[in-house]
Amino acid sequence: MISLQLAKWMKNWRRARCAPSPLRGEGWGEGAPSSFGRTPLTLTLSPEGRGNRPSQPRPQWLNATLRALAFVFVTTQAVHAQTPPPAPPQPAPQAPQQRLTIGVVEIENDPRYEPIRAYERLILKTREHPYAGAQVGVGEAQGFARVLRTDFALERITVKSPDAVASAVTEALASRNIQYFILDVPAEAFKPLAAAVRGKDVLLFNASAQEDSLRREVCSREIVHVIPSQAMYMDALTQLLASRKWRDVLALQGPLPADVAMTKAFENSVKKFGLRLVATREFKAGTDPREREKNNPLLLTAGTRDFDVVFIADNGFEFARQVPYQIVRARPVIGSIDLEPVAWHWTWEHNGAPQINTRFNKATDGRRMEGADWAAWMAVKMVVQATLRTRSNEFRKQREFILGDTGFDGYKGLAVSVRKWDQQLRQAVFLATPFSVAASAPVEGFLHKTNTLDTLGDDEPETPCRVNR
Amino acid sequence: MINRHFSGLIRECGCGLVPALLATMLTVAPAAAKDTGLIFVSNEKSNNIIVLDPKTNKVVKDMKTSRRPRDMHFSADRTKLYVACGDDDVIEIIDVAKLEVIGRIPTGASPETFVVDEKRRRIYVANEEGSSLSIIDMDQGITVHEVPTGAEPEGVFLTEDGNQLYVTSEVGDIVHLVDAEGGHVLQDVVVGTRPRRFAATPDRKELWVTTELSGEVYIIDRTKFEVSGKIEFLPPGMRKTDVTPVGLIMTKDGATAYVTLGHAAHVAVVDVATRKIQAYILVGKRSWGIQLSRDERSLYVANGFGDDVTVIDARTRKATISIPVGRIPWGVVIDD
Repeated sequence: MISLQLAKWMKNWRRARCAPSPLRGEGWGEGAPSSFGRTPLTLTLSPEGRGNRPSQPRPQWLNATLRALAFVFVTTQAVHAQTPPPAPPQPAPQAPQQRLTIGVVEIENDPRYEPIRAYERLILKTREHPYAGAQVGVGEAQGFARVLRTDFALERITVKSPDAVASAVTEALASRNIQYFILDVPAEAFKPLAAAVRGKDVLLFNASAQEDSLRREVCSREIVHVIPSQAMYMDALTQLLASRKWRDVLALQGPLPADVAMTKAFENSVKKFGLRLVATREFKAGTDPREREKNNPLLLTAGTRDFDVVFIADNGFEFARQVPYQIVRARPVIGSIDLEPVAWHWTWEHNGAPQINTRFNKATDGRRMEGADWAAWMAVKMVVQATLRTRSNEFRKQREFILGDTGFDGYKGLAVSVRKWDQQLRQAVFLATPFSVAASAPVEGFLHKTNTLDTLGDDEPETPCRVNR
Repeated sequence: MINRHFSGLIRECGCGLVPALLATMLTVAPAAAKDTGLIFVSNEKSNNIIVLDPKTNKVVKDMKTSRRPRDMHFSADRTKLYVACGDDDVIEIIDVAKLEVIGRIPTGASPETFVVDEKRRRIYVANEEGSSLSIIDMDQGITVHEVPTGAEPEGVFLTEDGNQLYVTSEVGDIVHLVDAEGGHVLQDVVVGTRPRRFAATPDRKELWVTTELSGEVYIIDRTKFEVSGKIEFLPPGMRKTDVTPVGLIMTKDGATAYVTLGHAAHVAVVDVATRKIQAYILVGKRSWGIQLSRDERSLYVANGFGDDVTVIDARTRKATISIPVGRIPWGVVIDD
């Protein structure tokens, strides 16, 4: 009987333990003054504030107090709570002198973040802006506020359309001296933006646009591409195929420009790593019997010589989801479904990833961290590390550090760093199945003369971009 | 009636009450035990402690624990072993003679490493996911203070007088100096990337801390509380990026330090006075926890990605045997 009740209490206790994370609540990450290290820790027995404001996280010391109180009460003073001696006065906290604000630029109603639906009420995937990733990064930086005498903050800048990005950035620089921006904007915003900031003391972190053209043609000294490029993603995928000796690939290409670009990048990777393309076929979603050669996965995958895998490029996702197990041969499907190259995955278990995944999950009420979230978080981390390691508030020194060779901990193994030639962040790419990371690229065995990470994407001899020449 | 009363209190008072009661109820006096020589290995993923006999190198007991057991420490009289279980937010108490769990102390979120101060009857535990250091009253089994730290606190070191603590923040690349009595951070010092564990020289002048991602050991001058040097590791044939030092132990005379190099699958032997690396000893993958036998003749290394423990002869500096244990072994302690 007793043990039954104990088990019950234990269960209740576990439930009650799910207290809000200190990172949650209003204001944090938006320049709320850091309370780091300043919480009074004397064990007082004052009941003030007890449970009256449920929306506010209860401070830890108060929890401890209440626990102590309850304990004394329940055991009817069988055990006396030992009141610890009063805490000595705390060293006066040094008021942070600097405030470093990072702008996060987004487009209102960006179609890239609309949910992917099967039909109106059936949502297949929800998609969220990576702003929360930046927030978690700023939350982590609170630990530095005291050491650096710098408070890190975010300013969320939402503009109406991609055309308005350039003016919003130059305005924030001119009027509020914001020099770091996280760009959560589509590819078309980059060219005018790069022109508008050329030569200025700003650094823009691309967190969500993977288009190769931004690295090759826009090729701006003011932009760091934190999110991997399309070429990196496709190289990662192809490396896994090559390492498994799954050489023959059938490619299915969707109608969207992004599908065409993805297929083209994949075909380049196939050539680069010595695979063989059995055929590239265009698909078109629908049920029109006159177009069955294009809309029926069985027919799309028939009539070729044998292949090891089917690659599908479908950014609309509607067709791709109906391809696995609906093809003529027993072959896996990769690309837009089943095995996808990603910058981050919520199941990655190594390199400290579980901790950042948990922090993100808590900060977002249960959302799983994705590639763009990681990129926004990483961008903040790079700025914070630059401040920490240069011990300087000078933008130029910090920029030099960010673009330098030191490298940063991206929680995915090999240190990430910025490529000199196109300012793409070199990094590992995960090959993710829905519930696991099947491999991390560079896949073992792919070597490079300087850094194996440069086996992914445009290496120096390959890129037309020469940012730092 | 009583039950209702209790659940009301649970709602009202948060987290600590019931486990506190549990700890009190379940903790029974352990039988006397000493110098069994047994080797205890905590295994993160199989949720157990494997007990090895040092003479036969055989498993003598497979002890179930709460989920994700990691850091372990003996009580001063060695009758009890405390084990931090990260996924159940408890420190379990094990009777060393009976090899049974006899009590539980609740902690903050995901306890990783801790120290026990028996004189003050306190446990100081780093809560990996709580960004805090909990100060726990051992007798009541309750957290009396939470010291806010940088994100992902990891290593904890209690000064010899028990008045101060050093705590690393993995994300912050910082070592905090904490006032143990008052429970607040006094000072910070910036070190390499992802600082992990500590060892102090016996003369109390230097504090060594492994920095996992920068592949180094940072040396902190304890009187000035500033970095006075660092040691970089690179075993032959390894890439710099594979070198991820975590575990660290010094001989009692402070002459030699042993550092586990994680993914580089080696243990580095360092001459403490000159800070020169004398040897690299091949062990298993993701070598983390390390322990010296009392006679300092044998070293035990937990290989996280080998699911085994490698025994090293400290004199010849050669691995003699690797013993399979549980899944993802984390740390080793020896009852000798």
